Amino acid sequence: MNTLIFGLLTIISLFIFMKLGKIKASTKQLNRGNRIRWTQNQNPSLSEDRDNSKIAKEEPEKISDQSKK
Amino acid sequence: MSKHSALNTFGRSGNPAFTRNFNLAGAIAQEERMTLDGAVNKTVILLTLCFAGSFIGWNAPALTLPALIIGTILSFVTIFRSPAKAGATAPFYAAFQGVALGGITVFAEAQYPGIGIQAIGLTFGILASLLFCYKTGIIKPTENFRLMIFSATMGIGLLYLVSFVMSFFGSGIGFIHSNGLFGIGFSLFVVGIAALNLVLDFDFIEEGAEQGLPKHMEWYGAFSLMVTLVWLYIEILRLLMKLRSR
Repeated sequence: MNTLIFGLLTIISLFIFMKLGKIKASTKQLNRGNRIRWTQNQNPSLSEDRDNSKIAKEEPEKISDQSKK
Repeated sequence: MSKHSALNTFGRSGNPAFTRNFNLAGAIAQEERMTLDGAVNKTVILLTLCFAGSFIGWNAPALTLPALIIGTILSFVTIFRSPAKAGATAPFYAAFQGVALGGITVFAEAQYPGIGIQAIGLTFGILASLLFCYKTGIIKPTENFRLMIFSATMGIGLLYLVSFVMSFFGSGIGFIHSNGLFGIGFSLFVVGIAALNLVLDFDFIEEGAEQGLPKHMEWYGAFSLMVTLVWLYIEILRLLMKLRSR
């Protein structure tokens, strides 16, 4: 009986894992502001969109010939 | 900058299995990107290899210790040396850990018949239920959550290491192995932490697929899940043995 119950639990759980694992998580899970950013380590720029962070972009300052003097 | 000072000091991810080799998806072709299907299929392959290995370990328990040592070395190699080659190392890791788990289960079964299938059932039961909780958004992993789980995991690891070293000098940290209320409480805590590590694995795989990480990260995600499952199984086995010995 012990083997039957836990054996069934194992098979059903594996089936659930195989089916549910391939489905994308709910929007409630994915569209959160406080998600863990696993991919930020190597390339922070990819996570900027999620933060909606705005980096002020300035035109490079031109160095005139007079500044050399 | 993050509002967490620890994150600013030590970086975003503390878990060594997740801090390396995230080559992001700049110019990767669609078919070369990580998918949920791929990660799940590779986890199933690793589980199959683990079950096959456990069959060998079950019939030859003398292989337990060598398999455990080789499996541990392979896990360190995968995490610290070549995450990109997880496709080559993870199947061997799963097979060797399977041999070790088979041997450990034989010892446990000799003392408490029927305990092995209970531990397997509970491990996969926890896997499926936590996956459901994650996918539906019942459990929402955050940076705080990750810091908490990582700290607890490192604390447990340090405690086991100290206990292991002390055992060479004829002593040890008694309560972590005892079958008293404190020992069982400790085991329950460790099972809880191991189980919550699964949520971090799910989140890593989900985000990896979403961000389109390279294909080899499917193996790495499956490997991470496998490491957690092996740990969870051993802790559940320990908990059940403590409960049955009372």
